Amino acid sequence: MAKDHLQSCGAGGVTRRSVLGTLGVLGVAAAPGTLAAPGLAAAQALGAQETVDAGLKRVFGGRAMKDGSGLIKLEIPLIAENGSVVPVSVEVSSPMTPTNYVKHIYIVADKNRIPIVTRASLAPEAGQAYVGANIRLGETGDVRAVAEQSDGTLLQVKREVKVTVGGCGG
Amino acid sequence: MSDIGKVRLRIPSSIKPGDVVKVRSLIIHPMERIERDAQGKIIDKKYNYITKVTVTYLGKAVVSFDTTQSVSENPFFAFTFKATDPGPLRITFHDTTGATYEGTADIKFS
Repeated sequence: MAKDHLQSCGAGGVTRRSVLGTLGVLGVAAAPGTLAAPGLAAAQALGAQETVDAGLKRVFGGRAMKDGSGLIKLEIPLIAENGSVVPVSVEVSSPMTPTNYVKHIYIVADKNRIPIVTRASLAPEAGQAYVGANIRLGETGDVRAVAEQSDGTLLQVKREVKVTVGGCGG
Repeated sequence: MSDIGKVRLRIPSSIKPGDVVKVRSLIIHPMERIERDAQGKIIDKKYNYITKVTVTYLGKAVVSFDTTQSVSENPFFAFTFKATDPGPLRITFHDTTGATYEGTADIKFS
């Protein structure tokens, strides 16, 4: 009797486990499918594994970029000892009025596998065209800041950063 | 792990009406990087990282960031806004799991 009971428990346990296992797999498979769609699509719009030229072409459509060295202040260390945390700040001297303001500030790291790091979208209410962020750098290379003004003008500055230990892994 | 989504917002202690205020924000988040196997092939899985950051002041969008995996772990963002009226400054982070994390600061004039 006791043996029977044990056996049925064992058998029951196995079936229950297998059923749960199947459910678990289904659940895991289903969840990312439903959730990932908008998130991944949005991420793909900006960041992709590509060369910096391809990335700039995709984002800016080959529009001409002016040299913005007089207007854009790109602050980044010359030597980044730890590539996984590199503080960057970008300041554009431009009025921030509803008719003339800086619409986007892009930070681009040329040598990263995903070169477009971030795009900041500003409203005139920001009062000043300033953004800061911590970024990753895979290896020594140029870092650019691109400012897009409300009339569509693109301004660019770049600066080389030496990276001692890369921060992008594999 | 349990700290994921902790948001810190830092504003200057005294703000006057009309000031352009610099705000610093930090969120605890892994910002997973793309992993590769021994052959250098990308491991196909869902990476958890922040794709969007939005900042609103008095309910109006001031700044937003679209971010990629090239942004550091526990990302830090700095931005400015023009303080006109007392009210809430709200920052929201969205990651690829669909989760959102929020931080608010009350803007008061002294």
